[in-house]
Amino acid sequence: MKAPFSPWLAAQAEPLKELIASLSSHYDYVSALASDSRGFRIVASQRNRFVDRSTMTTERGVVVRVHRDGLYSEYAFNADDLRDVHALAARMRRILDEQLGVLAAVGVKVYDTPGLEDTPLTIYAEMETDTLPEDADLETLMKTLQSYSDRAVSRDERIVECQAQLSSTHVNKMFLTAHRDERQSYVYSEGTIAVIGSADGRTEMVREGASGRTGVQVIDELAETIDGAIDDVLKMLHADRVIPGEYEIVTTPEVSGLIAHEAFGHGVEMDMFVKGRALGAEYIGKRVGSDLVSMHEGAKCVVDVASYAFDDEGTPAGDVTEIDHGILKTGICDALAALRLGTLPTGNGKRENFEHKVYTRMTNTMFDSGKDTREEMIASVKKGYLLEGMYSGMEDPKHWGIQCIIARGREIIDGKLTGKMVAPVVMTGYVPDLLGSISMVSGDRCSYGNGACGKGHKEWVKVSDGGPYLKARARLG
Amino acid sequence: MTTEELRTILEESGADAWEITDTKTEGWEFYFIRHSLDQNRVRDVEHREIAVYRAMDDGTMLGRASAEIPPTLQREEAAREIAGLLADAAYGKNPVYRLNGPAPIDAPRPQETDPAVIAREYLAAMQGIPETEGEDLNSYEIFVDRNEVRYCNSEGIDVTQIYPSSMVEVVVNARDGQHEIELYRLFEAGTCDRKALTEDIGELTRFGRDRLTAEPTPAIGTGAVLFSTKDAAELYRYFVDRMQAKLVYMKLSDWEIGRAYAGEARGDQVTLTARAFLPNSSRNRVFDDEGAPIRDLPIITKGVPAHYLGTRQFRCYLGQEDGFHAANYEVSGGTGTEESLRTGSYLEVVEFSDFSVDEMTGDIAGEIRLGYWHDGDRVTPVTGGSVSGTLRELMNEMRFSAEQRQYDRYLIPRLTRLEGVHITGIQTGDN
Repeated sequence: MKAPFSPWLAAQAEPLKELIASLSSHYDYVSALASDSRGFRIVASQRNRFVDRSTMTTERGVVVRVHRDGLYSEYAFNADDLRDVHALAARMRRILDEQLGVLAAVGVKVYDTPGLEDTPLTIYAEMETDTLPEDADLETLMKTLQSYSDRAVSRDERIVECQAQLSSTHVNKMFLTAHRDERQSYVYSEGTIAVIGSADGRTEMVREGASGRTGVQVIDELAETIDGAIDDVLKMLHADRVIPGEYEIVTTPEVSGLIAHEAFGHGVEMDMFVKGRALGAEYIGKRVGSDLVSMHEGAKCVVDVASYAFDDEGTPAGDVTEIDHGILKTGICDALAALRLGTLPTGNGKRENFEHKVYTRMTNTMFDSGKDTREEMIASVKKGYLLEGMYSGMEDPKHWGIQCIIARGREIIDGKLTGKMVAPVVMTGYVPDLLGSISMVSGDRCSYGNGACGKGHKEWVKVSDGGPYLKARARLG
Repeated sequence: MTTEELRTILEESGADAWEITDTKTEGWEFYFIRHSLDQNRVRDVEHREIAVYRAMDDGTMLGRASAEIPPTLQREEAAREIAGLLADAAYGKNPVYRLNGPAPIDAPRPQETDPAVIAREYLAAMQGIPETEGEDLNSYEIFVDRNEVRYCNSEGIDVTQIYPSSMVEVVVNARDGQHEIELYRLFEAGTCDRKALTEDIGELTRFGRDRLTAEPTPAIGTGAVLFSTKDAAELYRYFVDRMQAKLVYMKLSDWEIGRAYAGEARGDQVTLTARAFLPNSSRNRVFDDEGAPIRDLPIITKGVPAHYLGTRQFRCYLGQEDGFHAANYEVSGGTGTEESLRTGSYLEVVEFSDFSVDEMTGDIAGEIRLGYWHDGDRVTPVTGGSVSGTLRELMNEMRFSAEQRQYDRYLIPRLTRLEGVHITGIQTGDN
């Protein structure tokens, strides 16, 4: 079935076009992004159950962007019913002018930026889904999640809790200008299992997930992760710390994705080029990784939670080759950064929600596949670790540092897994050294969409990332 | 649809209990590249979050479901949403508890809430930050919110509070010829304290200068780490988290009232107090998210848990109805002077990429962007590598200064020292 476009948004189209026309007499560019996204999140565990008709991306509201005298300004609102668009336009102008008055009083100068072109474009995308969150049978879904939790804790007395979570969101967005009318509707869902074990005063957790630009069917994939998660958490209760040093590593696709995201995901967000905050700007056309390293970024490069038809500035979705056989080719770019850099936007202008500013943001960030196998990689390691599961990562585009907090490492000695585990593992290093050390790449690859991405320490958006198994060298602590 | 209309629908819905939290925000935002205005923004929004409850299983269980009801929803649509939520509540079934009832609430302390006034102070402060040829501001973002929060529920609470909150994100550059580095900070506060902001950015600039000459972090292996910046608040957040009623009820924290959290403590013991008011905190509120009055309350006294924190549901399950969901915290000063904490060899880390403390395992981790390796009389700026360990063990030998410093919602000891931390240098040998 196709995810039907929001009737509420459809009803706002004409009043918003009137608002745009009204504001156009005062500004030389006006756009409106309206959102009406609905969903749910349910959680089952041994000691608590939770039902909420909200998710990270549910929202209903409008943001209007205007441009005049080289300056872009925005006004976000959600309580106006658009019955009197001229009054709304007057209110917007009054408060934005009040801001300009404060800025003028302090003597602030404007970063002069040209107006966006308003080339005609129409998009109407209702994407395929199996179910809608509005129609989901929460009773059955909650029972299924509860059965997952019960199954986990009944297997071993050291498993003290298992939290099973499912969320599904029906995203609806409409981007309008004088000459553009773009509308999209799609569903994405994600589920997680968090298995918690405790013994001898030590508590550990293993989190596994499933996600996709689908309906609630991801709940079935979760079932397959429970036994592995229990095995891992029981081992982690007795895991040692890694002895700090540099090791050969093999990364699972999830960890490969984290590296992709932190290394040259954030590193080539081109709004950072405008500010001189990314070393990548100086390395276009130069080597940043081994010949085996190729990386793609874009809403179209896989189908996962961050796959849309157009971004929050109305730019159609893209698929950018960021690194081609080790050579940095280009970055990703929102529309204003593109204007300032004299390049084209890539469909990566995203907002946390309608209240937030657009930044250049990642969508799906993926390493390309190679020809090796996981088994061949492990067999080639003299002393090192198979790294699995991710907790967090942090970018450093200016200096190309990388920090990845990884759930656990399985020891490999003389080409064999020894059964010994270390946890957690902090991987740090210099990005070109890490990517330059990649010596084997597996033929399969996966994307993971359970995470969220911040810019600095705020502006959280949905992303997916992934890739194949990689063999490299890295500093672990 | 107004909040009053929403309230009427809830009263007539058949729900056994209900809550509304209505938050109106006027936000002013300014984004700068160097000192030039990249963009100005206004947020003029209202969010109405509701929860409905139904008694189940002869009153032994309580079903709950929550949602946001957009202000643009028509009355009939809202009634349908609420009817749907009441059905959903059957699947969110937990042991019964009762919502907060009316209680005396202190009058809020007067504070400036006009975003125009606060924003102007921030703009003037940031435009006036001292810069040199070698150190300047790369970019910054200013966020100022006027928050008006009304909470009402079926037990008869109907209270409103207005408070300001603000945030400044700053990126500082330091350069020496072609070599340029950056440092990042996110400052949060109630309103603009120009003096404090200027001092904090000045400190960041000094760190930037030192990072230019930083050497690779040596192969220390295991050693003492001194925390003297905002990241120390993350260490103390672990103590706040361990006292959350939800974590205790879920068996994810084993901290018990009256039993020392560390049996083998050889250092300073934490005394943690929830504070209703901290100077210029971004969360100086008189009631919490469930309408409970906020007051000063001892949470941990000299290493012994005294009172759980968190939402009423989980407090009730632990037999502690009295309480609230706090936002401001004070950790009392320890026994150490600065001199006594700065002895022997130790690594003082002032900038991490992203220092984290896991609330459940106590694992600490962070990549070192700038540290100072104190080795005898020598102090060497260092960069790279990471620190890691488990606070669950490290807190046994944790020492902190008598002198305190405030980071928005946390008033904590100015210096905190941990022994036996794993320090991964970048001069370590291969394995």
